[in-house]
Amino acid sequence: MLIVNDPLDDLGHEDPGHPERPDRLVAVRHAIAQLDLGGDQVNVAARAATRTELAAVHEGAYLDELGAFCYEGGGDIDEDTYATYDSWALAQVAAGAGLVVVDELRRRGEGVGFVSVRPPGHHALADRAMGFCLLNNVAIAAAALRGDGERVLIVDWDVHHGNGTQTIFWNDPDVLYVSTHQWPLFPGSGVASEVGGPRAVGATLNLPLPAGATGDVVRRALDEVAAPVIEEFAPTWVLVSAGFDGHLADPMADFALSSGDFARLASWAASFAPRDGRLAFFLEGGYDLAALRDSVTATLAAALGDSMASEGETSGGPGEEQIRRSMRERASSLELVRDQLADGAAP
Amino acid sequence: MSAYPRTIAVGYDGSPDAVAAAHWAMATARLLGAHLVLVHARGMLGRLDRRDPRTIFAAPVADLVESTGFDPTRLSWHDTDGDACSVLLRCAEAPVFADLVVVGSRGRDEHAGMLLGSTSLQLAERSPVPVVIVPTSPGA
Repeated sequence: MLIVNDPLDDLGHEDPGHPERPDRLVAVRHAIAQLDLGGDQVNVAARAATRTELAAVHEGAYLDELGAFCYEGGGDIDEDTYATYDSWALAQVAAGAGLVVVDELRRRGEGVGFVSVRPPGHHALADRAMGFCLLNNVAIAAAALRGDGERVLIVDWDVHHGNGTQTIFWNDPDVLYVSTHQWPLFPGSGVASEVGGPRAVGATLNLPLPAGATGDVVRRALDEVAAPVIEEFAPTWVLVSAGFDGHLADPMADFALSSGDFARLASWAASFAPRDGRLAFFLEGGYDLAALRDSVTATLAAALGDSMASEGETSGGPGEEQIRRSMRERASSLELVRDQLADGAAP
Repeated sequence: MSAYPRTIAVGYDGSPDAVAAAHWAMATARLLGAHLVLVHARGMLGRLDRRDPRTIFAAPVADLVESTGFDPTRLSWHDTDGDACSVLLRCAEAPVFADLVVVGSRGRDEHAGMLLGSTSLQLAERSPVPVVIVPTSPGA
């Protein structure tokens, strides 16, 4: 069973020529239609996240300023990120959509969630919009689960590092953040030596990979490095920051993934959900509309135990050496931080 | 640590504020005999325009060199992926090793008086090395 939020009224959040555009959600709606789930698809109405729910992640002053900026008509926040008059209302509903999808999964105790929203969220910091992101949707949902005592795994396979999500949970031992991403690439963070804060050493796991990385390389990094850490963490919930800009056709980066690779990644992430109804995917990037549509279809089908990938899995790209180097850097950084903590020094 | 900066990094995106900052940084580097690094942060949309900033900004930078009398052999570029604030914060580390960072009061597409995307304010708050914020004009 797929649990997805109702389509958002997102046409007001648009900057002509900008790749983060309303057509993305049209492509996603086509992707869901391709699944042809009939009665196995449950749509839930999204609502605006409350101030309290947003404030679990974002600073109040930032929320005030973002709201005021939008009500004054909006504009460019930085060279990448824009907001319009409608963006504040839409961003609150996008954040709320994640909450209602998760709530519906909890109520039913079964199904796979998909949060089909824009603007995306994983670059948004507690006090700052960036990288097309205004509010950190996946972090807001994770914070709500965390508040109910859950242990949350966030798998982020967007081609860009989710600096916002990492920073928000940097010092939280009950949220494990795992990211595969192209590096170097925007935002510039996400090296393997970033392992978490003093109270959450090891709860951040970065797997930076080079341009041209194929599905076999991404899977190997996740299998060899991330899987043992996740098994030890033992999540009670799995949230996926599902960006599809790592697809070969996407203009924003240089990974060489296919829809078949995203299907495999979805199955991999689903394998860590402790039981049915504990897995939700959040739309992040993905700017080539055909690739986005086919990759979302493949991802959700795989998560539901089916196979609908229009492309095969890819292999043969670079990255093996970077995986080895990341393992060494992570081990070295963990040892250093733990030594510093043992010595009473703040790392 | 030297009493005076040996390497000055200046954020450069071609905006009027960046030109003002680069002018001040070049003039200061000339006086101090320091090396100057023009730092170009490539945002997400920067991947859609992969031209080299040395080419894009060749003419205005040449004008700055001429107007300040700065030795162009002491000038280099650091073009890297990332948001402007994060990139400039990392300039204190390898490979730039800046001991002073200079920025305009607001970059391209940043709004006056707005905290949301203000690189200069966030940099001043978090930088491990001194930061100079150069206004485009008095009172700007």
